[in-house]
Amino acid sequence: MRCAAGIEARQVNELAINIDPIQAGGRLTADAMKAVIAYGDGYSVCDNCRKPNRLDYISKPPIAEFHREVAAWLGMDTVRTVPGARRGFQAVARTYVDKGDPVILTSLSHYTEFLAVEESGGIAREIPAGADHIVTAEAAAQKAEEVRRESGKDAVLAIIDMVDYQYGNLHDVRAIASSLHQYDIPVLCNGAYTVGIMPVDGKALGVDFVVGSGHKSMAAPAPSGVLAATAERAGEVFRTTGITGDVTSRKFGIKEPAMMGCTLMGATLVGMMASFPEVRERVRHFDTELANNRIVLSALQSIEGTRVLSEMPRKHTLTRADTTASFDTVAQKHKKKGFFLASELEEKGITGIIPGATRVWKFNTYGMTTAQAQYLAAAFTDIARHNGLNVA
Amino acid sequence: MVFSATFTLTDLRMILRKTAPTHQLDPRQREEATRLLENLERQVASLKQEMLR
Repeated sequence: MRCAAGIEARQVNELAINIDPIQAGGRLTADAMKAVIAYGDGYSVCDNCRKPNRLDYISKPPIAEFHREVAAWLGMDTVRTVPGARRGFQAVARTYVDKGDPVILTSLSHYTEFLAVEESGGIAREIPAGADHIVTAEAAAQKAEEVRRESGKDAVLAIIDMVDYQYGNLHDVRAIASSLHQYDIPVLCNGAYTVGIMPVDGKALGVDFVVGSGHKSMAAPAPSGVLAATAERAGEVFRTTGITGDVTSRKFGIKEPAMMGCTLMGATLVGMMASFPEVRERVRHFDTELANNRIVLSALQSIEGTRVLSEMPRKHTLTRADTTASFDTVAQKHKKKGFFLASELEEKGITGIIPGATRVWKFNTYGMTTAQAQYLAAAFTDIARHNGLNVA
Repeated sequence: MVFSATFTLTDLRMILRKTAPTHQLDPRQREEATRLLENLERQVASLKQEMLR
């Protein structure tokens, strides 16, 4: 079935259990789907835009209220919606980073953090994660010292992933932020994998900014996200325009240059808003998600040779597995080579791992029901047994 | 009325998602699906009446 010429109707999540590591938290709620249907037209949220003509002031639909609620939910003072977490990094980097300025990232940072630094002319300085793939406050302090010593100045910004995309490990942002604040470095917490998934309180973390991803973790369409700031920092990042045209003398009210004026003006925003009540509720039940993750992990670990590379016990549902000594030994002899695993999972109605991957790969159990977790667990052990692997 | 029917289909779609890939509905889901399908039939009937009058 097609949506339009050449565009197949996507039914991935209707037909299969999808364990794609980056897609799990962005699947829409029913309310978001309905909102997207009703607000699909371009400037659909602008019907009732009145002075001062800025997105976050619109009260119908309740966009202004949504902004206030998200800020309170994140323990921050001010929020703006952005077209993806990366645009949040970009807005903050453009505010604080000048050419040659050092910016602290980590060895597990997402590439868009590097691009945000690069675009502002900054220099990326990575805090190395430990052998356990965890970034510590001690390592952060060492890096801040190193930057001061080598650059003759302190880093102007730090971007720290609360949960990293590589291992799904939870890093102690609170301790890291406290450590970096000793050097007066503003800290942005990248909550792309946490905001909308598990509780995040920027005030408790002691950070200057919290960035969330709508399409990764807030059950919203892409590209969407949030950038939250403390009152102290909000005036800097969300500064208002001061420019005047020399011919027309035009001014542009209270538009914000770092946001390029209004940000999400249609289906992306109402999708995120419509999902918000359910998202706000679901973070309170993250323990259920971890329980489902344990069902799958237990099955994987029962397959001889399989290792979990992420921290244990798991604190997040995004998990990195090493099946070099299990599924990859099958791949060496199988007629489909490394594609056998994705193929056999597909036959069982499971999708989302990279076709061909049988060594190190990631999966995410977020959002599945317990029955689906049990089905997935059984699928892994069935495939293992079927291919002659030992299962405890 | 257009939205009512479309939204009901969306609720049915969510049941498909929650029960993928087997789509074996438990008693509660079956009850919910029955209710939604009955609503849908009524909504389509109303649509017919409104649009084709």
